[in-house]
Amino acid sequence: MFDWLFGKKDSASIAKDRLTIAIMSDRDSMNELPFMSEMKAEIVEVVKKYVGVRAVEIKKEVHGDLEALSIDVELDPNGEKLN
Amino acid sequence: MGIVIAVISGKGGVGKTTATANLGLGIAMNDKNCIVVDFDIGQRNLDMILGLENRVVYDLVQVMDGDAKLKQAIIKSKVNENLHFLAASQSKDKSVLESKKVEKLVAELRESYDYVILDSPAGIESGFEHTIEFADAAIVVVNPEVSSIRDADRAIGILDSKSQKVKNGEEVAKYLIINRISAEMVQSGEMLKSEDILNILNIKLVGKVPEDKGVVDASNQGKPVILDKKSEAGQAYTRIAGRLCGQKVDMKDIEISNVGLFKKITGMFR
Repeated sequence: MFDWLFGKKDSASIAKDRLTIAIMSDRDSMNELPFMSEMKAEIVEVVKKYVGVRAVEIKKEVHGDLEALSIDVELDPNGEKLN
Repeated sequence: MGIVIAVISGKGGVGKTTATANLGLGIAMNDKNCIVVDFDIGQRNLDMILGLENRVVYDLVQVMDGDAKLKQAIIKSKVNENLHFLAASQSKDKSVLESKKVEKLVAELRESYDYVILDSPAGIESGFEHTIEFADAAIVVVNPEVSSIRDADRAIGILDSKSQKVKNGEEVAKYLIINRISAEMVQSGEMLKSEDILNILNIKLVGKVPEDKGVVDASNQGKPVILDKKSEAGQAYTRIAGRLCGQKVDMKDIEISNVGLFKKITGMFR
């Protein structure tokens, strides 16, 4: 019961911090746009015309009022490419 | 035209059905015509809490499928003539709920009652989205505990995306009940404060309910705890029902009240 004397953080504040972070990341993943997988497939098609593709990752990023899609295309130099 | 309120939670076991039963009865005690509907198909429990399990003949699935008339299925409460009840089906599972049928049933109930309270399945289960689809408002029940709060946030997310009101560009009202608060644990820093929970979930508070052994005792007997005037949880539900009926009832701070100074001092030397 003398924990507070020694400055040990109480478990309620630990819960608060952990929850805040967990819920923020849950909400982010709920923001997955519904057309994401379709768009991913189309991007692969387009890029494949020119160079091999290993993977495509699309993320929605929110910076204040600005929303952006960040699209990462990992190339596969030895990969199959369509003509 | 009545108002339709869905009582929801993220995970199960937080006291959703108890809240539904007590708020329904509390609203009825305010002279409003009220029906409580058990949408937790396959996990019928509201009948037990209300003490009406022996009266159930037809359930809401039979009504929605046209196998029974609504009037035949509605059960009158033994303790208050303003309170009515419609049971869930015990044999079916939650996947039987269909949007169109739910819409029709909810519209019919809205015609005849001032308050229609829907006891929803937990937010992570199927059937949840159909229960909330046509509600005007939702009451979210949480316990001051991490898994309950995290899951509640997900349930609120589903509510915001599936609600017909939101689809029509309106807002679905959301209110929080924090259930099973232990004042002593909040005081000693072992339990989240209501203020923190409200900040995390970002919704309005409609009431706090303390941990109370009387709740189990009440459900043992099938008499909602709100009937026990001495019970602290019962008093909390009376206050919340008053608020839902439009009365101005001050928020009682149950997080500090019940630990007396004497108890605190004796506690120090234990």
